[in-house]
Order: sequence, then structure tokens, then C-alpha cells
Amino acid sequence: MFRYLVRRLLQMILVFLGTTFIVFALMFAGGEGDPIQNLAGEKPVSAAQRAQLTEKFHLDDGFFERYWYYLKDLVTGNLGESLTGRDISTMILDAFPATAKLATIAILVTIVFGVTAGVIAGIRRGSIFDNSTLVLTLVIIGIPTVVLAPLGQLLFGVKFPIFPATANNPPTWYELILPGIVLGLLSVATAMRLTRASVAENLRADFVRTAKSKGMPGRRVIGVHVLRNSLIPIVTFIGVELGSLMGGAIITERVFNISGIGNLLYKNLNLGDAPVVIGTVSVLVIVFLIANLIVDLLYAVLDPRIRYE
Amino acid sequence: MTDIRVESSYAPRAGAQHLLEVKDLFVEFHTRDGVARVINGVSYHLDPGETLAVLGESGSGKSVTAQAIMGILDMPPAKIPSGQILYKGEDLLAMPEEKRRQVRGKEIAMIFQDALSALNPVFPVGWQISETLRTRAGMSKKDATRRAIELMDQVKIPAAKARVKDYPHQFSGGMRQRVMIAMALAMDPKVLIADEPTTALDVTVQAQIMDLLADLRRDLNMGLILITHDLGVVADVADRIAVMYAGRIIEHADVHSLYKSPAHPYTQGLLDSIPRLDSKGTELATIKGLPPNLLRPPTGCAFHPRCPYVKSVCTTSTPRSLDLGHGRTSACHFAKEMLDGTLR
Repeated sequence: MFRYLVRRLLQMILVFLGTTFIVFALMFAGGEGDPIQNLAGEKPVSAAQRAQLTEKFHLDDGFFERYWYYLKDLVTGNLGESLTGRDISTMILDAFPATAKLATIAILVTIVFGVTAGVIAGIRRGSIFDNSTLVLTLVIIGIPTVVLAPLGQLLFGVKFPIFPATANNPPTWYELILPGIVLGLLSVATAMRLTRASVAENLRADFVRTAKSKGMPGRRVIGVHVLRNSLIPIVTFIGVELGSLMGGAIITERVFNISGIGNLLYKNLNLGDAPVVIGTVSVLVIVFLIANLIVDLLYAVLDPRIRYE
Repeated sequence: MTDIRVESSYAPRAGAQHLLEVKDLFVEFHTRDGVARVINGVSYHLDPGETLAVLGESGSGKSVTAQAIMGILDMPPAKIPSGQILYKGEDLLAMPEEKRRQVRGKEIAMIFQDALSALNPVFPVGWQISETLRTRAGMSKKDATRRAIELMDQVKIPAAKARVKDYPHQFSGGMRQRVMIAMALAMDPKVLIADEPTTALDVTVQAQIMDLLADLRRDLNMGLILITHDLGVVADVADRIAVMYAGRIIEHADVHSLYKSPAHPYTQGLLDSIPRLDSKGTELATIKGLPPNLLRPPTGCAFHPRCPYVKSVCTTSTPRSLDLGHGRTSACHFAKEMLDGTLR
């Protein structure tokens, strides 16, 4: 177990280096235009200012040298400064709670609706409930967030103002419900189908027949014997989904104007503020990697047949 | 009429109520391809402390009958159009589901062929053995675990106390089957149905499990229904044998008589196909052909396409179960000739 953990952590470092390198290279290759001019907008930049900023951000140095500077700072936990002179770590820390809340709501929506509906559909395969949820999930899977988010905002924020259409900074939980549902809907569909398949499969398993022949009531057969086994793929999915939700929040946060990680990334991509983009993506990569590690460790807890060497 | 001379170690008790009695049971499966009549009027009975072996090929309906007794058939696709299953005189099929559930595990328990898949992979064996004790007998967790260890001792699992928290995959095949048996014994059932309990095991382990079942049946005075396709397995353990073919009991007799003089060509075929030491070097006898397709069963006697003695009457008329005395029955038009050895 310990050896496995060490190996996984070492692997994580490699993956982290790889992904940050790619992001770094992409930002570099994309051409920064003139970030200093971007920053100043229409105003002229004096030669002295330009020289100072160029020196500070190593803009004249080569790719590998700049990557090296970046890594060196990163190891000491320093994500550096944005072109506007703000501390990137602080910017991310400020934005993080909103995204974390949003992701929490999305995950809850996924579990409550996706897993519950999946269990019911799995038990009653071929029923009206099963078929209608099947069609519904197909429709939801088919609609991209770019459409779903404004649509949800228009319907439930403007036409029928049940929820606030946009969020303040920092957002309250209530303001995040609608965006959270929109963000969660995509995984609801997948979670539902995954749960349905898993429950349906486990219902046919021999151990279910055993539990029945032990005189266990149907509630317990499904609630304990089937569900405990079906949990294994569902937990895996939700764990991995947590990582992608952080990234998937970009559109949703943009539409509902939530000051989270996604919005931060979007704004600075437009500004061409490479240090912020790279810093944010680095943090997202770390979150994703940790979520994956936790899922893998949970796997061994949920399924005793799995042992890590 | 020819005189039938068969020694019988078993004499049915006339008039007494049996512990378990299956009466003229019919089961059919409704599939996309049509209706498969898998059980066609099966009757058998069981008394305390007695072992009934139900013998037959795959698809003969021996397991389905057992599942009907347990009430664990998936309905649909299965359907029980008629029949009775009397436990202590009460018809299980007429009971409301909740009452029926109380019978399962507590009065009638069942163990299955493949203990690895029949045990839940994500729970410790002790947890699974004690589940009924905790949820149905209201025992505390501690008492239930202690009882689980006792049960594991009883089925001779070494170091039961140390292994009670282990998971099914950490046991060998034979030990897993013992766990299954311990689990089935938890509520002190009066009837134990063992559905091919040794099929998935090594020959040496098979014998150990059969011995264990025989011991437990004697010690606990349970009725044991032993479902198997292996005539060799049942010889030492069973009191009576019911041979099934295409959803019918085609022969029913005490073990001794059945081995000595089978009253149905199918039983004879089964006996002939047991490998013997003295038949070394010669080709093993087999029953030619395949079991019938129950969606389109043959006319007349279901065994007639494979029967070496087939006569024209066999292709048109379904033989009724013939009483041969001493509790023996045979569903062959020529049962008496079989016993006399005059059937050619």
C-alpha cells in the first residue's frame, strides 16, 4: 500500500511536469502578441516601462529558460505575479471557493438525481420510467453546456425567476444552485446510465439470489447487496468527474458571471496573461490528479478484491 | 403381472404428513421464442433427517424445482400455472410474499453450486453468515459474530476466529462452500437444499463436502435435498433418488434398488456412463443424443429419441408414473420389463 502510494505520487510529479510543459508550450506557441501593449490597452507604453516589464517577466528569454524559471518558482510554491502585478496564488485562492461550491452542488445534483434515477431504472428495466429517463438523458447529453447554460439562465433566471440569473462576488450558495444544476446535468445523464447498467448487472448476480434465499427483504437485497457492489463504478466516475467539473466550469461561470476559477481562466486567456493561465491550469491539474488518486485509493476500500502492491 | 422383487431400505410412512412435499408442480418460462415448459408435474417429498437426491442432466428442471421451493424464481419470465409446495402441510405457493420470506433461510435454506459468485464479494464472510442473525433474529453484532465463528467451526473451517473478517476471495473453493453451508445453517433450517454443491470442486474436496453435509444432516436432523448430475456423488449419502428428465421425475426409488436394478432406460444409461475401474481400456458408455428442446419437446415419452429400447407406443403416448411398490415409481411404458430384464 505504502509503496503503491509512493509510486503514484512519483507518477503524479511526472504527469504534472508533462501537462504544465504542454500548457506552457501552447501559450508560447500561440504567440503572446504583445502582452505589454495588451495590458496598457490603447495607451502608449514608455521604453523604460517596457524594458522593466520585459526584464521582470523574462520576455526576451528563450522558451526553455522561461520554463525553467517557472518551475523553479513553482517548487517553492510561488506561482508568480500576473502581468498586472497581482500575486497569482492569491487570485486563485480568491476564486477557488466559488468553483468548489459550484462543483459541490453539481456533484450533489449528480448523486441525488443521477444515481437515484439510475437505481430505479436499473430495477425496473423496460418500464415507462426507464424509457423516459433514457430519452431524457440522451437529449441532455446531446445539448452542449454552451447552449444549456444560457437556456437554463433564460428559463429559470429571467422568464420564471426562481433563481438569481447571475451571482455576486463572492457568490452565495443560493446563487449557485441554478449554475450548479446546469453544470451537474451533464454528469447526471452519464451517472444515471452508469448506475442503471451497474444495478441491472448486479441484480442478476448470484449473490443476489443468495441474499433472497436467506430471506432478506427486497429493500435490503437492493439497498445493501446490490448497491454496495454498484457503488464501485459510480464512485470512480464521480471522482473523475469532480476533476473535469473544475474545468467544465469555464462556460457555466462565464454565463452566470461567477468569479471562480473558470472565469479567471477565461478572462486571462483573453488578456493573454500567460502567467495567470499557466498558474491556474497548473492548479487544475493538481486538483485533477489528487481526485484521481483518491478515487484509486477508495477503490481498494470499496472492493476488497483489489490490493495495491 | 410379473412379480417385482426389489429390496428396499426405505418404506414410506403411510398417511403421515411430510416435512416438505412438492405436489404436481408445473413451471414454465415465457421467452421470446415461446413457452418452455420446464417442470411438468413434479412431485416429491422429504422427511426430517432424510436425504433425497434429485438427479438429472442440465436443463432437466432439478434446479428450477428447488428455486420454486425457495421462491427465488424470477417471475416473470417464470410462471407456476399449477401445483402445490407443502411445508409442514402449508402451501408455500399460496402464502403472501412476506410470510413466504420468513420461511426462506429460517425453515428452508439453500446452498449453491458456485460459492464464489454466490457469496457477495464486498462483504466479509462473517458478516454474510451473521446477516440473518442480525437482521432477522435480532442478535447484537457481537453475539452474531460469535455465532458466526461457531458456525464456521461447525463446518470445520480452520482458524475460524481469525478468518471471520476475511473476504470470500481469500478462501479456497472448498472453504468457500463451507462458508455457504455455515451461512445456510445460521437460522437452524429444517430443510437444506444443496444445488450441485460439489460440482465446482476437486474430487477430494467433493468427498469432504459430501461427508460434511451428511454429518450435518444427521446431527441437526435436517431434511436434505441434494441436487446433482453425478450419480457417483450421491451413492453414499442419499436415502432416495429422484431422477429427472425434461421436467419430469422419470424414476424414483431408494438408492439401493435404483443402483441394483434401474426401472427406466434413462437411469440405466446414467449408471452405465459412470466410469469404473474394471472398464479400463474400453470405451465409456454414453447416452446418445442431446436433452430435448423444451420449447419443442418430443411427442410421447420425452426420452424416446435417445432411448435404446424405443417402441412405437413411446413416440405417441406420454408414459404415466407407474407405481412399482415400496415407494418406487417409473415413468416408462416398459418399467416392469426393465426390472425383469426382459426389455430388449
